[in-house]
Amino acid sequence: MHYATDSFLVMAISIQLTRTRAPCFFALRQKLCSSFPRHRLIRRSMASDPAGADTTRFDFLVIGGGSGGLAGARRAAELGAATAVIESHKLGGTCVNVGCVPKKVMWNAAVHAEYLHDHSDYGFDVGSVRFSWETLKAKRDAYVSHLNRIYRNNLDKSKIQTIQGHARFTNDSEPTVEVNGKKYTAPHILIATGGQPSVLSDAEVPGASLGITSDGFFELETLPKRSVIVGAGYIAVEMAGILSTLGSKTSLIIRQTGVLRNFDTFISSNCTKELQNNGVDLWKNSQVKSVIKTDSGLEVTLITKDPEKKNEEEKISTIQEVDCLLWAIGRQPNISGLNIGEMGVDTDERGHIIVDEFQNTSRSGIYAVGDVCGKALLTPVAIAAGRKLAHRLFEGKKDSKLDYSCIPTVVFSHPPIGTVGLTEEEAIKSRGKENIKIYKTSFTPMYHAMTTRKSQCIMKLVCVGKEERVVGLHMQGLGCDEMLQGFAVAIKMGATKADFDKTVAIHPTSSEEFVTMR
Amino acid sequence: MAALCRGRHRWKTNSLHVFTRNLTVKYDYDLVVIGGGSGGLACSKEAAQLGQKVAVLDYVEPSAQGTKWGLGGTCVNVGCIPKKLMHQAALLGSAVKDAKKYGWQISGTVSHDWATMSDAVQNHVRSLNWGHRVQLQDKKVKYLNLKGSLLDEHTVKGLSKAGKETILTAKNIVIATGGRPKYPTNVPGAMEHGITSDDIFWLKKSPGKTLVVGASYVALECAGFLTGIGLDTTVMVRSIALRGFDQQIAGLVTDYMEDYGTRFAWQSVPKRVDKLSSGALQVTWTNTQTGNESQDTYDSVLWAVGRAPETKALGLDKLGVQLNKETGKIVVAADESTSVPNIYAFGDISEGRPELTPTAIKAGKLLAHRLAGQSTELMNYNNVATTVFTPLEYGCVGLSEEEAERRHAKDGIEVYHAFYKPLEFTVAERDAKQCYIKVICERGGDQKILGLHFTGPNAGEVTQGFALGFQCGASYSHLLQTVGIHPTCAEEVVKVNITKRSGLDATVTGC
Repeated sequence: MHYATDSFLVMAISIQLTRTRAPCFFALRQKLCSSFPRHRLIRRSMASDPAGADTTRFDFLVIGGGSGGLAGARRAAELGAATAVIESHKLGGTCVNVGCVPKKVMWNAAVHAEYLHDHSDYGFDVGSVRFSWETLKAKRDAYVSHLNRIYRNNLDKSKIQTIQGHARFTNDSEPTVEVNGKKYTAPHILIATGGQPSVLSDAEVPGASLGITSDGFFELETLPKRSVIVGAGYIAVEMAGILSTLGSKTSLIIRQTGVLRNFDTFISSNCTKELQNNGVDLWKNSQVKSVIKTDSGLEVTLITKDPEKKNEEEKISTIQEVDCLLWAIGRQPNISGLNIGEMGVDTDERGHIIVDEFQNTSRSGIYAVGDVCGKALLTPVAIAAGRKLAHRLFEGKKDSKLDYSCIPTVVFSHPPIGTVGLTEEEAIKSRGKENIKIYKTSFTPMYHAMTTRKSQCIMKLVCVGKEERVVGLHMQGLGCDEMLQGFAVAIKMGATKADFDKTVAIHPTSSEEFVTMR
Repeated sequence: MAALCRGRHRWKTNSLHVFTRNLTVKYDYDLVVIGGGSGGLACSKEAAQLGQKVAVLDYVEPSAQGTKWGLGGTCVNVGCIPKKLMHQAALLGSAVKDAKKYGWQISGTVSHDWATMSDAVQNHVRSLNWGHRVQLQDKKVKYLNLKGSLLDEHTVKGLSKAGKETILTAKNIVIATGGRPKYPTNVPGAMEHGITSDDIFWLKKSPGKTLVVGASYVALECAGFLTGIGLDTTVMVRSIALRGFDQQIAGLVTDYMEDYGTRFAWQSVPKRVDKLSSGALQVTWTNTQTGNESQDTYDSVLWAVGRAPETKALGLDKLGVQLNKETGKIVVAADESTSVPNIYAFGDISEGRPELTPTAIKAGKLLAHRLAGQSTELMNYNNVATTVFTPLEYGCVGLSEEEAERRHAKDGIEVYHAFYKPLEFTVAERDAKQCYIKVICERGGDQKILGLHFTGPNAGEVTQGFALGFQCGASYSHLLQTVGIHPTCAEEVVKVNITKRSGLDATVTGC
């Protein structure tokens, strides 16, 4: 019985001492937590709840069961915190359900389409080939469901309570959320609700709602015959690449002259060229004016105007018989219905939750990680930030925070893009043109030595100062997706061009070109 | 004179237009390189760019089966390049099977035509041969298609195919003649009926059902691509596979191959090869454990039982150039110098060096700089990363677990590991039980990485960047500090968190 009393005391103290806990206290607490059934702890803490019997109390309450929320919740639970995750939809969030995972499955399928072109060059006779989108979708969905179950099991194994439903902050004095009429509170509440594709209203573009977004892409039951993608970001590039490679006639509508405009221009211009090489019908300086539905599909009307040619009139064109209009014009944070405004949680003008480097929001006891913060919208970033936060809150690691510099990222275009660190433009801006040295190369990967289908591999290093510290690495070509990670480690360590030069190549690879550049 | 020469070049370091007037009037050349392979070509081109007058001699002695090739050495003609292209063909063979799972309906059976593949491979190799010729010309290196041997420390004799002799004198002589595959000496019929890696890439018709003898990376790579294009392939292993590599990983690589369809005859040594009247080769072998004899017939027998240096015809004994008695390789110092002044050797022919193209290239370039008096930098043969292009690729840098234990003791190392499933395997319903990552670290302090091992798709591309990190002295915490790239295989390396010591399940689940 005295054990139960101890745990009650510990829980009570932990609530008060969240900001001033000593490491030894933690060791004790972890030991206690691990030797007790979780439900008992929760019940105890419920009994001590000053807010009332109808409010369930946890140590850590996570709103959003996506990459960041789940990672933070599981790490907190490992560290002994009584944790709950609130999710309104499927576990796994964007990444697992409508992002990285199904996207890469589709990209892999598209890569097979490319291989099938190359088979005869390598001596294979594969006869006649027909693609079944339906088969692929069924298998992809099955895999995603499998992951959903894994996430559910992982939560159960970690003794994390899953609460199904939409969370809304209440007006209680202590931050509290309500889900399906039930109240939950915790001294630490993490908002990890992610984001969703932005859409245009019919008032902005008549007929805009006839289109879908990347979410809808993953619901398509058949391969569209005629696709129109709007946008120039990485999602637009990936979607256009997948659809086009799998055999849909695809147009990409971009407002300016190139895609991926926030990437290094070397990559931006090359990717624009590769899209065109791969048969994507690119509409530069263009916007969608209106969309109407006809018997034979959508009719998309475009306005094209080259801003360089001031005297030229706008050109109006239409694309007909479109069966997939996909808006990929950006993403927005999921904050509606949360009632965070009332909580004193500040947001920026686009609704992203403002956090400091420790993921603290403007309201004490409320934190945010991942896409809802609008910075580096990447699964591994959200995961790392969630875990770092858990270590800070529940292990007393006061300095535990994610370093947002040098985050590597890959675009699954055809061929894929890898990039880490500063673009040449950014480096010039921050360090001055005279302090920048650029190394570049481009070549045809050996895989294409045998194939009639060709693609280039391009590589660039951005170096700064006399010591030629490598601050940026950019590439597009076969294998660049798997190439980047190791280089990212080295660049994060502060590798110089001399370190690259000292490294012996691995032959024959494409990546060896980075260590043999002159 | 030599000092003057060095002085002359020192202040011309950055000039590409150093005119190559030869001040050493005594010699025809500043440098004569014997061997036009990866190392010899890199060394001679680099030297020429530094203003040296250079000649390179290259001559390909036909293989026992009469196979010949052009300029560029083992890598270009009978090594890295054709093997990787055939490996890629094999990967496409697997890709067809995966494609069906990804929604492609492929009617009829998939077949592979050897001649289509080998023609394309050979055409590419010939284009590289030509490219090397052009580069030598551009860089003002004199190319001589002569078989070189040494007369004294400044004189090389070149012998043409027709038997014509040419004498060249040089201030320095570099030997980079590489090595060739060995045949066993105690197996009747081995050389008469067998081929080696010198022949396999140049066969006009498919080798058919093949026995590959040996378990080096050459043996496993050849057996891997032959299996991948649909041939019945058996590997005969005397003792262990991938000697010198991490043995846990070697086991994963061969396990994968067995699942992939390659047959293995373990603990077996061939006894004889007989040609039957049908043309088939009958191989008799002995199981070293049981002593039992077995027999089977094959269309081809490929010997991959090691490589021997090309030293015999060089006339080294007369000059007193010291050789290693066991290996026959040339004994060299850290600066690639041999026991005879002005004679240098590097690459596959030198004792104790890794037999890898990139090390030869780098060593050759550095040697050229030293010989031209431009630098004193030595080649660092440590920390060389490499990749084995078996059906499941294997990339590594640093120590094997066995070697790390030997040097640091079992208690002195922490091994992080993970069994992961590549996303491309999931929809394809491929077994990923051999996809594995192992990071061997010092146990104390920063947990500096001692060795890094990766099996999986694109291992070569994955490993290079980590080799750079390794070169920079990466520790386990550096991996942790780097954000992963999702979804890739490479991200699993920065996510490893289960130690072998903990005994916990190292299978990666979820994202």
